[in-house]
Amino acid sequence: MGRTGTAMDDLLNDFLAETAEILAEAGGAIVAWEADPADRAQLDAIFRLVHTIKGSSGFLALPRVTALSHAAEDALDQVRRGNRQPNAALFSGVLGILDRLGDLCTVLGKDGAEPPGDDRDVIAALAVRDASAETLEVAGVPLRRDDDLNGELQSWRSIRVPLPLLDSVMTGVTDIVLARNEFARMLRESGAEPSVIASFERLSDSIAGMRQSVSQMRMQRIDKLFAPLPRIVRDLAQEMGKKIAFQTSGGEVELDREMMENIRDPLIHIVRNAIDHGVEALEDRVAAGKDITATISVSARQSGNQIEIEIRDDGRGLSPDALVAKAIASRAVTASEARMLGLREKLDLIFRPGFSTAAKVTAVSGRGVGMDIVKANVEKIGGIVELRNDEGRGLTILLRVPMTLTIISGLMVRAAGQYFAIPRGAVREILLESGDTVRIDRVGGGELATVRGEQYPLLRLEAVLGREADDSDDVDDRALVIVRPGQGQSYALSVAAIHDHEELVIKPAAPMIMATGLYAGTTLPDNGRPVLLLDVQGMLAAAAIDASEAGRSHDRMAEAEAEAMAARNAVQLLLFRDTNRRVRGVHLSVIERVEEVPAAALFESAGRVKAQIGADIFPVHAVTPPAGEGTLKLLRLYDGQSVLCYPIAEVIDIVRLPEGVQPSLAPGLIAGVVLVGGDPVELIDPYWLMEQYAAGVPAGALRQPLCRLADDDDGWGHNFLAPILRGAGYRVVSAADAEDETPDVILCLTEGDACRQVGGEVPVIRLRTSVAAAGPEDETVYRYDRQALLDALRRQVGGERG
Amino acid sequence: MMEKLYLVARIADTRVALRSRAINSVVTVGTPVEVPGAPPHVAGLFALRSRVFTLIDPHVVIGLPAVPVTPGQRVIVVDVAEHGYALLADEIEDVCFIEAPETRITGKLLPGWARVAAATIEHQGASLLVVDPSNFITLPTLKAA
Repeated sequence: MGRTGTAMDDLLNDFLAETAEILAEAGGAIVAWEADPADRAQLDAIFRLVHTIKGSSGFLALPRVTALSHAAEDALDQVRRGNRQPNAALFSGVLGILDRLGDLCTVLGKDGAEPPGDDRDVIAALAVRDASAETLEVAGVPLRRDDDLNGELQSWRSIRVPLPLLDSVMTGVTDIVLARNEFARMLRESGAEPSVIASFERLSDSIAGMRQSVSQMRMQRIDKLFAPLPRIVRDLAQEMGKKIAFQTSGGEVELDREMMENIRDPLIHIVRNAIDHGVEALEDRVAAGKDITATISVSARQSGNQIEIEIRDDGRGLSPDALVAKAIASRAVTASEARMLGLREKLDLIFRPGFSTAAKVTAVSGRGVGMDIVKANVEKIGGIVELRNDEGRGLTILLRVPMTLTIISGLMVRAAGQYFAIPRGAVREILLESGDTVRIDRVGGGELATVRGEQYPLLRLEAVLGREADDSDDVDDRALVIVRPGQGQSYALSVAAIHDHEELVIKPAAPMIMATGLYAGTTLPDNGRPVLLLDVQGMLAAAAIDASEAGRSHDRMAEAEAEAMAARNAVQLLLFRDTNRRVRGVHLSVIERVEEVPAAALFESAGRVKAQIGADIFPVHAVTPPAGEGTLKLLRLYDGQSVLCYPIAEVIDIVRLPEGVQPSLAPGLIAGVVLVGGDPVELIDPYWLMEQYAAGVPAGALRQPLCRLADDDDGWGHNFLAPILRGAGYRVVSAADAEDETPDVILCLTEGDACRQVGGEVPVIRLRTSVAAAGPEDETVYRYDRQALLDALRRQVGGERG
Repeated sequence: MMEKLYLVARIADTRVALRSRAINSVVTVGTPVEVPGAPPHVAGLFALRSRVFTLIDPHVVIGLPAVPVTPGQRVIVVDVAEHGYALLADEIEDVCFIEAPETRITGKLLPGWARVAAATIEHQGASLLVVDPSNFITLPTLKAA
């Protein structure tokens, strides 16, 4: 700091950066080598790393660093030549030297010069050949020093580039992309020649490729993040007298460098926690019938635009009851609040500030900063922390973070005539303000939104920003965004309209704008107009609203709980306008998503209409492909195996399916009619629809119960009843049909004695024509009571099959 | 030589000589995006070459009422503490070397100008206030703190 940049400083900085990486890598490699001393490749790798430090330090005239690395290199070389056995003394000695090198580098980074001091202690410790320790065989023939050259060549295949330079390249490419977009628009408008457009397309493709390479340049393998972990686990396990096997996987996954910096501390904290609190003491593991050696594994994998880092241990897991008891004891929650907590909320208690799960605070991880900090740090960079608890068998913590720090998924909303972005991760639900699941009350000057029995303080974005609502906005477009800014907090944010989701590159805003507390940064969408990213937490403070969920609508809590439960169980209906302008509905649960595709994506093949979406082709429920240009909306129905697209004009709303569905008589596209808000709505039968387009499951794959109709004299059974039964999954035969198979159940359609003789072993259900039963003992079923009939069938067939 | 280079412009109804060291460029802006809730001297945001800049209205810093931004208006782009800002300028006159020395301000200025102006300088037979453009950006923040 404060020193002017000279060539020497640059060299020193390069050296320090490189050495920090080498030390982290070497620490991990030594622990791995210690686990398998016969692993010649590890030994060679460590040797080369130490050799590199020695080489660069000599050049920079750092005598202490040179002496230390020389001692380590010498000892390792002795092992390579078979003159020395790799034993505990050697491993600890080399680790001791690495630690000292790390300390020296820290001072070097601060002062720019090597501090005076004596390293004879650590060098002497390495020189001691601990004869009493068990000796280990080294396999393989010692290699000659020439082989080192290969390793060094490897490390020279990459170069160090300062981050600001990378950033400026990135900015440059983004500018090119924006200019390309503008140029493309001008080309289209000017009606340029096809040859001009073709060569522009070529240019455009190479720009896209370049943009991708540049964003990859900031990426680093997550190996680097994992490198110091084996050492930490080794040291801590020794200190605590625990035996731990540590594994990492997915080290090849790449992550933005800056992102990596931000998850390093949370990751280390979680691993330390796992060793300290998760893994039981040796005797407890034996008592629990577990392997004495515990396993902790850290793995990374990429999933879309996100990286998942999983830290799994096979320790004792979390005990929800113990967590609650602890939370009550530390007054984080009251006893009555605790009773209201679900399992997940109980586990989430560990994210409460100041919460420590260990029975007593230990030197290792119980230092008052805990999982709340981990969570806060991960959330700060747009990530989330998830717990997967298996009580008694282990705990898995999942960190899910965006691949790059600066790109987040954002929801674009409009208010007061301009656009704002909300981080998608904080959005729990989006509802139309005019929808029938939402009720808004004015209470003493404030506003309250009740959504399915849950109350939220209501913030109007215009009011938070101190603006007037824009008159040109349609009141019907107003939407509520249920925001969860943090643990145990939520509120409803009312906005003029929802625009769309976008991947946004976020940059910090000027300090005076950040100081308002309303914004978390700025972003520049493709249209080139800056957009402000809202600070969902800061807006709460600005509005001075208590968004804590605890104790909200206290006396109504039980009622709300029941109502919410009912809402969860209730079937949700997606209302839409069909292509023939009719209002129809379909169970929301069968809809995978609503897709908007260009009309050209639909085509006819072998008499069926298909849609191309991305790289997939799906069947479409339509007779002919739509004519003309433009786009159309498709409902994607998914039954767990296949997808069917259903073209619609527009989505209207999502409502709770009312009771009193009038079923249609024959199975078909329309399952029935129901009144929604006083208007009849046709319900689509997804079962029938999927059946029409099913690829055809082989016959007999599913045994359908056989149902025989007895005494079907007037054909009522054949004409009225059989379709219902078939629809419900039964095979139906009448008495007239040849009987090769014993039916599972017999339906007797008359009340006469005609079918007294049938039955025997087969259960019989008798139907009656009168609505009222003859008496309490009457087991007959009214023949138009569809539900009772189906229930009776299920009872009989199910009962017999046990 | 850079110390002698000034941008002569009319800012907040006053001809001033801006020290050029922090000045990045002079560009024109379209309609800026408003920042609700921001301090009054923030006139909005605009994008330039994929960077987002904060537009500052010097009128407000000086204590005058804010002026609306007209599309095509020229602004002076400056970098302060790694953030990009732009000062609304009424008129850009010239970029020139002024050999005359900066002299201490004599006489009484309006309180707003007294806070931002650093010195005076003789240029083509007139006395100009010498202003470091970053003062327009950092000073109002200090006052608010």
